[in-house]
Amino acid sequence: MTEAQHESGGTGGDIDLSQFYQIFFEEAGENLDLMEQMLLNLNLETADDEELNGIFRCAHSVKGGAATFGFADVAELTHKMESLLDRLRRHEIQPNSAMVDVLLESADASRSLLARHQAGGEGEAMATGDLVRRISELALGGGGATAAAPKAVAPVAPPEPVAVKPALQPAASGEKAARSLEIRVGPIEHPEQADAIQELFRDIPGLGTVTVVATEEKGVRIFAVETVSSDDELLDLFAFHVAKEHIAIKAAGGGKASEAEDAHYGFFEGAAGAPEVATSYADDPPPGAPLAPLPGFGFFEGSPGAPAAASAAMTGAEAGGASKSPANASHPTGGAQPEAATIRVAINKVDQLINLVGELVITQAMLAQNSRALDPAVYQQLLTGLADLDRNTRDLQESVMSIRMIPMSIVFNRFPRMLRDLASKLGKKVDFVTQGEATELDKGLVEKITDPLTHLVRNSCDHGVEMPEQRIAAGKPETGTITLSASHQGGSIVIEVRDDGRGLSREKILSKARERGMDVSDQMSDSEVWGLIFAPGFSTAEVVTDVSGRGVGMDVVKKNIAALNGTVEIESSLGKGMRVSVRLPLTLAIMDGMSVGVGEEVYILPLSSVVESFQVKPEAVSTVAQGAQLVKVRDEYMPVIELEKVFQVPRFDFEKSCDIMVVVEADGSRVALLVDELLGQQQVVVKNLESNYRKVPNVSGATILGDGKVALILDTGALVRRSRH
Amino acid sequence: MGMMEKMDELATAAPREYLTFRLDQEEYGIDILKVQEIRGYEPPTRVANAPEFIKGVINLRGTIVPIVDMRLKFNCAKAEYSAFTVVIVLNLRNRIVGIVVDSVSDVMELPADSLKAAPDIESAIDSDAVIGLGALADRMLILLDIEKLMSATDMGLVSAAD
Repeated sequence: MTEAQHESGGTGGDIDLSQFYQIFFEEAGENLDLMEQMLLNLNLETADDEELNGIFRCAHSVKGGAATFGFADVAELTHKMESLLDRLRRHEIQPNSAMVDVLLESADASRSLLARHQAGGEGEAMATGDLVRRISELALGGGGATAAAPKAVAPVAPPEPVAVKPALQPAASGEKAARSLEIRVGPIEHPEQADAIQELFRDIPGLGTVTVVATEEKGVRIFAVETVSSDDELLDLFAFHVAKEHIAIKAAGGGKASEAEDAHYGFFEGAAGAPEVATSYADDPPPGAPLAPLPGFGFFEGSPGAPAAASAAMTGAEAGGASKSPANASHPTGGAQPEAATIRVAINKVDQLINLVGELVITQAMLAQNSRALDPAVYQQLLTGLADLDRNTRDLQESVMSIRMIPMSIVFNRFPRMLRDLASKLGKKVDFVTQGEATELDKGLVEKITDPLTHLVRNSCDHGVEMPEQRIAAGKPETGTITLSASHQGGSIVIEVRDDGRGLSREKILSKARERGMDVSDQMSDSEVWGLIFAPGFSTAEVVTDVSGRGVGMDVVKKNIAALNGTVEIESSLGKGMRVSVRLPLTLAIMDGMSVGVGEEVYILPLSSVVESFQVKPEAVSTVAQGAQLVKVRDEYMPVIELEKVFQVPRFDFEKSCDIMVVVEADGSRVALLVDELLGQQQVVVKNLESNYRKVPNVSGATILGDGKVALILDTGALVRRSRH
Repeated sequence: MGMMEKMDELATAAPREYLTFRLDQEEYGIDILKVQEIRGYEPPTRVANAPEFIKGVINLRGTIVPIVDMRLKFNCAKAEYSAFTVVIVLNLRNRIVGIVVDSVSDVMELPADSLKAAPDIESAIDSDAVIGLGALADRMLILLDIEKLMSATDMGLVSAAD
């Protein structure tokens, strides 16, 4: 059957399922991700039921949805995976790493097949025949000739000749004599869907014959079928059109009901032995049973008993519309069912909300400023109201900003799989540790930080961690450790990639730099030497692998991070390991600022960088080498930056002079800024200067003051770096 | 571009509407579709280390917009800031820029055949940015491709990397 036919055959009626495609793709993606995570965490020796069930459920969900929407290729592959997983969870076979590998690969293949469907079904679909064969082999306990790749559509259940549980219906094994069956479908809302079952018999040679049996019951179809296939196989086929729970197969003439098979799927645990099995989700056993109703695919029923999860999915579909990526979806951890109440919201709606809150903050600041001149006694109520407004605005702004923040675990989650594959490819043993996964980061940043981090982690694995023999020879444990950690420090988020590998070799870097004609000297400090590796094309790798070594990566990493207004630093110890620290400003559109006056102009300093301020006498400032100025603060000497000079502020009133120092800390060091006066502290909305102008050195953005004028926000990091040389 | 090519281009150009403005004694015209609004002049916030003709930035209903004084850029004799000084706010493919001019006149529709090619002469204006010369009664109108002019690197609005 072709895809087009499926798409119309599957709906069978009035519902246009395409509006639900997006939800399906997102949820299938999440299920595949969750499955991958659980597979990676699976302990092969002591795999517990919960874990195996969880993985099974993921495959099952994807299969069910794919079948509903007519994505036969995905349904077939996931069905195979599900069969293998089913045997695993029933302890009929033991998990081994070959199975994990093939399941991981199949999850990848499913993802790419789904992506193809999502993009409209263009191009070649991946051939899944090989994967299917391997899964089948493993399901049989490895080795042994297996059935050739199954026919295009019919997912014949893997033959289970021996290890069939006694609970299985006797007719489903060995001999396949022609049987007469009565198949009852329903009651379902769109019984026409069941009619498509007839097409199956028509299109699949050898399946059998089907005739319709008239029935008075509403929403029900009854078929008389002659077939050699097992009930299991029939149910699998019909699943393309109607959910299994709605199908009851009995031997013709009212023989023994065959729902014992369906015990596979646990839906009928509470109803064992019941003759008619036309149930809907409503009759499912309570959530304690292994297979609680799966949320998200409640499209099959309009039945009143449909669980709340189904209706939540429906409202989600209406509310979210065609959203690209969920700003708010909760990402299920471990094997738990995704329970948290979430709504998928389009990102541009969130951005719009943040903009509006920003404007509100400006207006509120303006009101606060204009009300300063009022007599408090006369305008007491007004002033109280404004104070309340200030608090409410602040709270509103915090809540809204936090909408866009998502935990770093989203970024970290892709690494275990990547490292596993990479380590095994390179023949190294690597442990992966994460810290601070709960640290939150703006969603926009997350997307941009992922590539540079990936590169750094790959570098650590490829160049940092040594081969197991070398490690042992060096007295280190055979398995190397790569640690990824995230934390908030001041107004920045710091992400570190640490490894306990061979570290950077100063000599090698210096000699490579000289080879390339770079101007280096032995007097350079360690951190300057490490900084050399950021030069384009720089690499000391002897062997270029396809992972890294071409010297293309580090300069791109640095550029990407600089584009986020962040910095990268390297620390290394030869033989012990290396640490790369990425520091990113938290892109808050609204931040607390301290306004300072220089001449007639107002500049804003990010409050998070300000350490202290004090009045200074000219004598306290000393010069060094006729250039740089230093000021002593308690027992520390720090460089002085005269903002008047840096920004060439014209001075009109020579009576006024700069006599206030503001100490700021950024990028790990401190600097004292010389200003005329401190004007105040307020919340400022950060406006982008570069969208219409260009990047101005030492300035990170601009803001609009209460009087409508523009003030520049200083980039304290740049100022600090400026003072370094 | 040589004179001949310019003339050919002009001949095929569709009639467009031009907003005319005055810089000192000279009159210029720019495509009206690039004009977003016309405002009075308010002193902008100075931005350090910018060329002299970039006066600074202003707040235009929440967006930060740079202000370029065309009289300084074109080396006019005087550049005063009075109650009559006008800022034309341009929207050039989503880049918003304001230019300071002495005054603004009408919007004229100039048919293509009334335009003449401008001779290549030495001037402060890049000749690529001059579309042609229009003649109206006894006035000469210098028609500018304002987008090309503002995007030129010597304008200092776009960094070299853009």
